[in-house]
Amino acid sequence: MSCEEMQHKFEAYLDGELTLSDQRSLEEHLAGCNRCNTMYNSLRTLSVSIKNIGYTHAPASLRRNIKRGLKEISGEHADAFHWYHLLGVGGGSAIATAVVVWLVMISTLPSAQTSVTDELVAAHVRSMMVSHLTDVASSDQHTVKPWFNGKLDFAPSVRDLRDRGYPLVGGRLDYVHQQPVAALIYQHRAHVINVFIRRGDTVAQALPPRATHQLGYNLIRWRDAGLDYALVSDLNEKDLQELAGLLAGQPAPKS
Amino acid sequence: MANKKDRQRFERLMLVHHDAAYNLALWLLRDAADAEDIVQTAYMKAFDHFSSFHGGNSAGWMLTIVRNTAYNLLQTKKRNSNLVNFDEALHSGDELCQFSFGSMNPEDTYSAMMTGAQIMDAIERLPVEFREVFFLREIEGYSYQEIAETTQVPKGTVMSRLSRARAQLQKLLVEKNRRKQANVL
Repeated sequence: MSCEEMQHKFEAYLDGELTLSDQRSLEEHLAGCNRCNTMYNSLRTLSVSIKNIGYTHAPASLRRNIKRGLKEISGEHADAFHWYHLLGVGGGSAIATAVVVWLVMISTLPSAQTSVTDELVAAHVRSMMVSHLTDVASSDQHTVKPWFNGKLDFAPSVRDLRDRGYPLVGGRLDYVHQQPVAALIYQHRAHVINVFIRRGDTVAQALPPRATHQLGYNLIRWRDAGLDYALVSDLNEKDLQELAGLLAGQPAPKS
Repeated sequence: MANKKDRQRFERLMLVHHDAAYNLALWLLRDAADAEDIVQTAYMKAFDHFSSFHGGNSAGWMLTIVRNTAYNLLQTKKRNSNLVNFDEALHSGDELCQFSFGSMNPEDTYSAMMTGAQIMDAIERLPVEFREVFFLREIEGYSYQEIAETTQVPKGTVMSRLSRARAQLQKLLVEKNRRKQANVL
């Protein structure tokens, strides 16, 4: 097929709407055609940039107002919850005001710390959506590692841990907190694990693995040799710790 | 008359989509206060018509009502300001839209990653039908078929809209980048 015919399939490919055989022939073509590859990557970058915009959180008042409205139109008494009743009438109002002010403050405080976590979880969730998990699907570390060449300004260490129960599935280029990151995908039983690696501050000291969780996902993050690592998965924390130990603790294999 | 059980079932199925509903409304209306109002209205409407929901994709069902409600508001605003309607044929014939990825030179593509604000700024200048298809495809991850069902147009129209939306956004970004470089030099 000609380049032009291939180019007409770029979007369907990007959107996960191509048949398997079309997908394969397109992938073969992309691997051998620089010009098409450049065009496809630009299309893909655009798509990732839009995906990265993500959600704006709806104001808390919206959910409350919907619930109140539903009660009203379903003919139930809109018995709005006046929590200041709990404080007793009279002297309660000053405390009530203070509580309201405090609630508003904690609900509107921006949190730079959690935003990276938010983005990591979001990137993990996105990756699980149709055909978005890997850019290079291979369990061969010698295929995945060189694939990152020229796409990042650092070289992530890539190892297949199949013999330890964590087979490598592939790699992907992602974008987290306004920075390109390498994403390595491992599998453990039915769980998918995203390992995000980005360039950290080279002079910052190493940080040991630390676990957090968010929206039902477990995260483990650490810093080593100028690189920030983050594991995100719905896998239980204990197994995730094991993988973190394998990735963080051992020297890269000789190749 | 709806009773408490209906309301609880509705809440259980539909309230989880309120973030998606709000974001869709925000993309379509570009105004936070309007978005909040429209989602509230859409939820009341949805509850009124809850008997027409026969299971299946609850998010798609809810988002269809949200986008229809949002379009009603946009129509009203347009009437008041004498703006022209989006015309599929007109927009596909227009110079911006003829541009498609198949006809692009690699030199004309803009491939640098941009911040969310920069991209959103450009997206906001696109017609509402393009913003909608971007939201459903890229943010919600809907398939072409799901987008067709939600927006009530044929799948072919979804594909051509998405393609033109991408080409137009790409073109806006290339131009923006050129202007930026011209300013630097």
